Amino acid sequence: MNCQQVQTNLSLYLYGELEFGEEDALEKHLGSCAFCQQALGREKQWHSALNAERQDVALDLLSQCRQDLKASLAVTKPKRNLFRSWLGRIESFGFSGTRWSSRLALASLLVSIGFLSARWIDRNGLPGGVGLNGTNAMSMLGPTTARIRDIQPASNGVRIILDQVQQQEVTGRVSDDAVRRLLLQAARDPEDPAIRVDSVEMLKNDPGTDVRDALLYSVEHDPNAAVRMKALEGLRQFVGDPETRAGLQWVLEHDENPGVRSEAIDVLAPANQRFTFNPQFADSLQQIAQAQPDDDYVRDRCFQILRAMNASLDIY
Amino acid sequence: MRGTPERTNEVALIRAAQGGDEDAFEQLVRSYDQNVLRMALNLLHSQEDARDVYQEAFLRVYRNLPKFRFDCAFSTWLYRIVANLCLDQIRKRKVRKEEGSAMETASGEVDRFQFLPERRADVDPQRQLLSHEVSSRIQEVLGHLTPRERIVFEMRHFQGMKLKAIGEALGVSEEAAKNCLFRATQKMRAALGDFV
Repeated sequence: MNCQQVQTNLSLYLYGELEFGEEDALEKHLGSCAFCQQALGREKQWHSALNAERQDVALDLLSQCRQDLKASLAVTKPKRNLFRSWLGRIESFGFSGTRWSSRLALASLLVSIGFLSARWIDRNGLPGGVGLNGTNAMSMLGPTTARIRDIQPASNGVRIILDQVQQQEVTGRVSDDAVRRLLLQAARDPEDPAIRVDSVEMLKNDPGTDVRDALLYSVEHDPNAAVRMKALEGLRQFVGDPETRAGLQWVLEHDENPGVRSEAIDVLAPANQRFTFNPQFADSLQQIAQAQPDDDYVRDRCFQILRAMNASLDIY
Repeated sequence: MRGTPERTNEVALIRAAQGGDEDAFEQLVRSYDQNVLRMALNLLHSQEDARDVYQEAFLRVYRNLPKFRFDCAFSTWLYRIVANLCLDQIRKRKVRKEEGSAMETASGEVDRFQFLPERRADVDPQRQLLSHEVSSRIQEVLGHLTPRERIVFEMRHFQGMKLKAIGEALGVSEEAAKNCLFRATQKMRAALGDFV
């Protein structure tokens, strides 16, 4: 490869989209050409500049979209042939569309009708207020959703496995064990960033170490910048703690979002704070400034603090 | 950090959703909807249009899910729908000609540059100015890409999709997707080379 071929292929190289042979030839050329190495540096820089343009989706917009979709789905039901849908399910168990499987599908349909009727009766009661088999356990559990996981023949008829999800309401103070446990769990909900933001918001003023650990987990691992920002707010109260400072330093060195990094440096070193020389802290600041050469705010704040501590800036 | 559900888990979710399980469908939506919305926003620069694309894309998935036969990855199918909707929108509005720094929001039209990351007052003004210039140059050059180049670039650079998957999603060969990406990056390099 010559210089022109290398330089026109640099982006594909960075994306890992070159053929093995092309990549090999390009790397060989780069190893011996300072001019193309500089070009690669420039290519990486504009890729980074583009990454900084990437905006996180606003949570309220996402929430609106989800609500709109839910409303539309409520009036848009897919056109499905119920009997065929049941046949499809039966087929997924490994049976083909024979007369025998059709009978089995019909049998399953009847079983499910029986089951749903039983649930209806269980919830609403029989005329005269008598529960099924004299018990009313399901309705005592509150709103429950159920899904049939498996249906198998059994010696006395049929064996049905159900997954049930029961809705419950829990109210109390954040310091209450049950509430706290749920909030800590919700802070790691993989599906819903809005739930994570809400739980972090509730937890952030609590001084417990379990809360600190949850907030540190969020700032280091949460994919959503809004959740990380919220967790950073909560970490202000723990800033004297070495583990928290180490977590904040990690964020400053590795977080891809400039807003999160700015918040992290403000938490780690509030603007109005007086600084006395601390070799470890100075070392951290030097590493952060080195790790974020393109982040104006973080880099300048590091330099300001280093100057205020009369620490050296010369290692760069 | 980020990620779609495990493949096996996703297959189970799709099968459950095909069987009419609303919760499973909701979980599928939540696995992808942030990326779908981000892609629509980046390509269309309009919250209203992005909301429409989000809504229409998932409604189409919902209506057609019973016919989905796992011939391709679910994500490929979904992104094909989203890409087609975005392409339709871009073509309809002729975004390339209309697009300036104005951007539609729920509260009316505003300048897109007000949404760029805010720089602090104590930062070197020269660096700050340069940074703003880079941002505006990026927006300008993105606006000058053809609709297909924009979509391929968005899918590769911002969504991290491989060219093979992009080709499948757009119904073109991997080589055609690669050519699109190549042209897009050439334009970006030409426009940003002096700034970085």
